[in-house]
Amino acid sequence: MHPATASQQISGPALFAEGISKAFVSGQQRTQVLDGLTLGIEAGELTLISGPSGCGKSTLLAILSGLQKVDSGRVHALGSELGQLDPRALERFRLQHTGFVFQGFNLFPALSAFEQVELPLNHMGLSRDEARRRARVSLEEVGLAHRMRLRPSELSGGEKQRVAIARALAKEPELLFADEPTSALDAANGQMIIDILHRIAHAHGTTVLCVSHDPRLVVHADRVLAMEDGRILSDRRTHAAVTQSKEIPS
Amino acid sequence: MVALARKTLIYEWRRFLPAMLAVGFAGLLQLLQIALVLGIFGSTSLYITGSSADVWVGYPGTQSVGSGRTISADVESRVLMDPAVQRVEPYIWVDGDWRGVGETGGVSVFVSGIDPGANGLMFSKALPPSLRARLVEPDAVVVDRSALDQLGVDIGQTATINGHPVRVVGISSGLRALGGVNVLCSLDTARRLNDDPADNGPTYLVAKLRDPSKAGAVAARLRGATAFGPYTTWSADDFARLSVLYWLFDTGAGAGVLFLAGIVFLVGAAITSQTLIAAVNGSVREYATLNALGVGVAALRRVVLEQAFWVGALGLLGASVLGLLLLMLARSQDVPVVLNVPAALACIVLVMGLAAVSGLAAMRSLRRADPATLLR
Repeated sequence: MHPATASQQISGPALFAEGISKAFVSGQQRTQVLDGLTLGIEAGELTLISGPSGCGKSTLLAILSGLQKVDSGRVHALGSELGQLDPRALERFRLQHTGFVFQGFNLFPALSAFEQVELPLNHMGLSRDEARRRARVSLEEVGLAHRMRLRPSELSGGEKQRVAIARALAKEPELLFADEPTSALDAANGQMIIDILHRIAHAHGTTVLCVSHDPRLVVHADRVLAMEDGRILSDRRTHAAVTQSKEIPS
Repeated sequence: MVALARKTLIYEWRRFLPAMLAVGFAGLLQLLQIALVLGIFGSTSLYITGSSADVWVGYPGTQSVGSGRTISADVESRVLMDPAVQRVEPYIWVDGDWRGVGETGGVSVFVSGIDPGANGLMFSKALPPSLRARLVEPDAVVVDRSALDQLGVDIGQTATINGHPVRVVGISSGLRALGGVNVLCSLDTARRLNDDPADNGPTYLVAKLRDPSKAGAVAARLRGATAFGPYTTWSADDFARLSVLYWLFDTGAGAGVLFLAGIVFLVGAAITSQTLIAAVNGSVREYATLNALGVGVAALRRVVLEQAFWVGALGLLGASVLGLLLLMLARSQDVPVVLNVPAALACIVLVMGLAAVSGLAAMRSLRRADPATLLR
């Protein structure tokens, strides 16, 4: 079940942040969100960053995923230093290597589930057939094989989030970032989403970094980083998640 | 490739409808305005477009058909010497003062003295042969149906022009003039009606060529000789354009057209760009997500521009259908409307330009699609 675990231990972390600092200035007020933080995230596991709102976890995710620049420090992702890349190169890096799942599902109302997943693949230089094959496989993987022709208005919240995950997954990214993916969902749907993310990490060897203040998720993660005031308070590994992981309906 | 722009346009058509209406009405307004102006001012070149002459010879510097001066009759032999010329005939223009039997006061008329022969070039397309033949009679005139009330006469009645008696022998149609009334008569009658003793030649000589397509070259070849007194030449197309442009800009109508085109463009672009901006703002989180996934800003811009293109195209389609219906209605009510290819093209360029400018304006709001804002 864990084809990636053996290789991950000999290679370095997929994501490595070295002494990163970030402050936001609003008028006269300067807020130091992250201060000299150093952190490595391993491939093939689901890492959860938890903490109260305002603790800097979303900022950390934005920086680790290359959506935001650091004030100081360095971020290495898959051997590239993100700070060295210009906006074009960052876009290209994200296109090749990263997937995102956001709290709001951010699906185009006019497109069917299948088209939502296919759309970003069109821009990756894949052939039409390959894009469609990947879209189908991804939607099957998140258990939406029978719903792929429906538009967002015809899908439930949980289904929409699964479409969003399939959209990220179909790119076959090495890095998958999820920001509060379950906060808009009920317990059952939230459970299903975290199970899918967990399985993606283990089945595809993907580095899955999830940010959430949802305490239900803690037990399902391979590693939990508790954050407060821009610092990591604790770094725990749990193996319970693997055994508790349920099968995903398909 | 998933057709995001088109699918969104169809699915959220209500959102885009105001833009399509704005574009459509801008196009329609411009189309009708141009058609009306061309229809009204097109009548100033009727003398040329209603005739089958290929080359016109007249006084140098003439600005429109109605403002010619006499040239020497000898020029005719110079023109006839050119091997490309098949036939030459004089055309006499006389400004007249019409006094009818009815209580109309004096009416300003444009007397056209033409060759009444069956092969006559002048008004060959506008005057039926039977009517033309009746002009052979001395002092016979033909007037346009639209001017009967204005002239206060009917067929068979007499009137005077510049004090000389004339008799209405026929009624034509489609010879409406701008700023006066057209009266047609033979060359001999026209000479009698002209009370200016200084005028002793024709106002114009019109020539038919063996090969009409060479009109430009022949006109250029015939120009420049001075042995027969001052004259110059134009191809029929050039002279017609000269006449219409003179009226368009002399009367300020041309400036009016351009001014309204500018207003239409501004108002249309303001409404259309606002609608497109609202549409972009409505999807800004989805665009930001695509950008997070690595879809470039350039590709997102193309989506917005494509939407603007379709808004323009659909608006144009609506304007064309409605415009054609209105033009047909205008024609049936004798409203002078004319639409030609350059005018239609100008409308298309205006409308698509308007859509493009709006699309570019909407593209700017894509700057708000920063994926970092999706992480809170």
